[in-house]
Amino acid sequence: MAQARKGKLNYRCPSCFMRDLDIDMFFDTDKQEYYCLRCQYTGTEKDVLEKNEMIRFRYRAMSKRYENFDV
Amino acid sequence: MDKFVVNIIHRPEMVPEYAEKVTGHGKEEDIGRKALLTESLDIFKFQQETAHKNGLKTTIQMTYASLFNEEAISLAKEHHEKYGDEIALSLLGLPCTEFREKYKTKDFCIWMFSMEDKKSIVDDVFGKFHEIFGFYPESTGSYYMDAELINYIKEKYPMVKCAVATCWEEGPKAYHTCNNSWYTFMDGGPWNPWIPSKANVHAPAANEAEDSGIVAIPHLSRDLLACYDGNGSNFGTHPQNVLRGMIYDTSTWEYPYLYNLVDQYRSLEKYNNGYAYNMMFVGPGWLNKMGRWEAPYELLKKSYEDGMAYYGELKKEGKLDDMTMAEFADYYREKKTYTEPECALWRDILYGSDKQLFWYCDPYMRACVNMDQGGAIVDLRPYAAKLEWPVGIGTPHVTDASYPFLIQEKYRAGYFTHYAGEGTVRSAKLTYNGEEVDLCLCRTSAAFSEEVMEEGKKKRILTLKPVDIEFADLTVKLQTRVIFAEGSSDIEIERTVLSMSNPDAKVELNEYIVACYGTTEYTEDMTSLTLGWVKGSEEQKIPYEYKCRELEKTGADSVYAIVPPIKTKVTMTASNKEAKGYVKEGYAFSPMFTLGYTTTLSDKEVFSTWLKLAREN
Repeated sequence: MAQARKGKLNYRCPSCFMRDLDIDMFFDTDKQEYYCLRCQYTGTEKDVLEKNEMIRFRYRAMSKRYENFDV
Repeated sequence: MDKFVVNIIHRPEMVPEYAEKVTGHGKEEDIGRKALLTESLDIFKFQQETAHKNGLKTTIQMTYASLFNEEAISLAKEHHEKYGDEIALSLLGLPCTEFREKYKTKDFCIWMFSMEDKKSIVDDVFGKFHEIFGFYPESTGSYYMDAELINYIKEKYPMVKCAVATCWEEGPKAYHTCNNSWYTFMDGGPWNPWIPSKANVHAPAANEAEDSGIVAIPHLSRDLLACYDGNGSNFGTHPQNVLRGMIYDTSTWEYPYLYNLVDQYRSLEKYNNGYAYNMMFVGPGWLNKMGRWEAPYELLKKSYEDGMAYYGELKKEGKLDDMTMAEFADYYREKKTYTEPECALWRDILYGSDKQLFWYCDPYMRACVNMDQGGAIVDLRPYAAKLEWPVGIGTPHVTDASYPFLIQEKYRAGYFTHYAGEGTVRSAKLTYNGEEVDLCLCRTSAAFSEEVMEEGKKKRILTLKPVDIEFADLTVKLQTRVIFAEGSSDIEIERTVLSMSNPDAKVELNEYIVACYGTTEYTEDMTSLTLGWVKGSEEQKIPYEYKCRELEKTGADSVYAIVPPIKTKVTMTASNKEAKGYVKEGYAFSPMFTLGYTTTLSDKEVFSTWLKLAREN
């Protein structure tokens, strides 16, 4: 098995991101998947992108433009 | 008159942080690689061009490495002439072949060097700067500047008047986010510009004698709610931080959050005599041509252009004043008095809640009041101690530059703990017929007001919307006011019973603070602490021995804790002379101390307590 490499972009582990950890993933060319060095997440680019969308669940006001900052 | 001031800072960093790790992956380390130098300079040119295109002036913070680069030098000179940009000097960006050969180290954070090396590096970079430009810089900075470093710079180079001196709440959270590999521990400082004291950079000077001689600005304007709980590098006026936090729509590449952040900072003028502030300081590593944080270069670039365009638009509308750092220092000195606090009533603009925090900072304290927990104080830093805290190699704190806390709800719990023990918080409990309710569970919101005192000073008052405390057969409507009197180190908390469903009922009120000390999540040795009460000439005290002991005294003048490791004395006093003061020692599973007063409240009654912070040594 050849060594892993960086992918085309530095995708972070979505599972670790959810717990406030930024870990760049590496790409396993044999298995054609990204994997996390810290946890057990593995996934294709498609899966990573899907999980990254899921991560945004907590940003409920991400698309809102505030004009007033009073509560 | 309202004024929103913006500092835009760029640095030609010849070996950008991250760039060597990212673009250089799979290659042997070579910080002199030509491709790296060319890319870095291209990014700097892009940043400068984008600011100028939007009619904004910048502060160019030359790095040590860039002082060896002819093109960077000539660009700085040209932009100074043409656009009025300030040529300043950064103590970031030290790494380069010349630096490594001379100092034989890979350290790059100025505050972490030994004092001897700090002096040598400062003289080296200031000397080189003078040799090239023929003058010394008026502005400097790093992610953090310790007091000893600033004092030395000010003594040797008195023309320096402004410095980037801290990153707000960059500490253990940033360390964890970076897989425990990013050693910037600098929690506990101001979020907006301040005049640092000579003793401790985080703590603002209370008077001329304490004045370090510079105006400090934070590195970025950060989200005062999101950064307190999450990764600081996701939530600031740094467009690529917002991308790092994934706070954008992947299909449209829109990020309203960035503009909300700028606008909420603009709104803070309401609490600060008509003044508001913002800064944007993006290091070149964040605009890497290879892309970063899943974002392709095109998105990194777009976000920077959009950020600058928004500032440019505000300027055109007359809603923004762009200044260089040196210009800002002059403006700030004229505008602010030593005792005038910085205040921020801040709402959630990201998670869709109505959570609201109030941040207060003056020469005696930094405090955070959480309206989602009934106005509990959830963070408290005793600046009154003006704690000397040297950092760097050869000191007891090689990397830990944080100002210690007494209360930190994330690192030492708050109201909620698991199974046993207590977390740090300043709150109150009401008891009636065996039922107990903590105000931490009474979510509410607050309004800000001011009241003029003598000598032009003011009280800053936070008035919370009344809350209902429901017991089985009694409902109490209670209002809280949190009052900060300018020039004092007291926090007054006033509770008023507005109504009771049974006007003849009496409830017990327990005003308390649970505290400890530290800079991280992990507990410190508490055995040097002393707890006690005072009543007239009477006094009783106990040394902290983790024995879970309690003392109490009806009519105590004060209850106190002395915390020698942070040279702080915390005292609580009460308005009702019949109230019972108490202190509680913690135990091994709950290494805290508690100070408090209990009293009986009737309908329409008002009860106040004061928490006072002082230096103890």
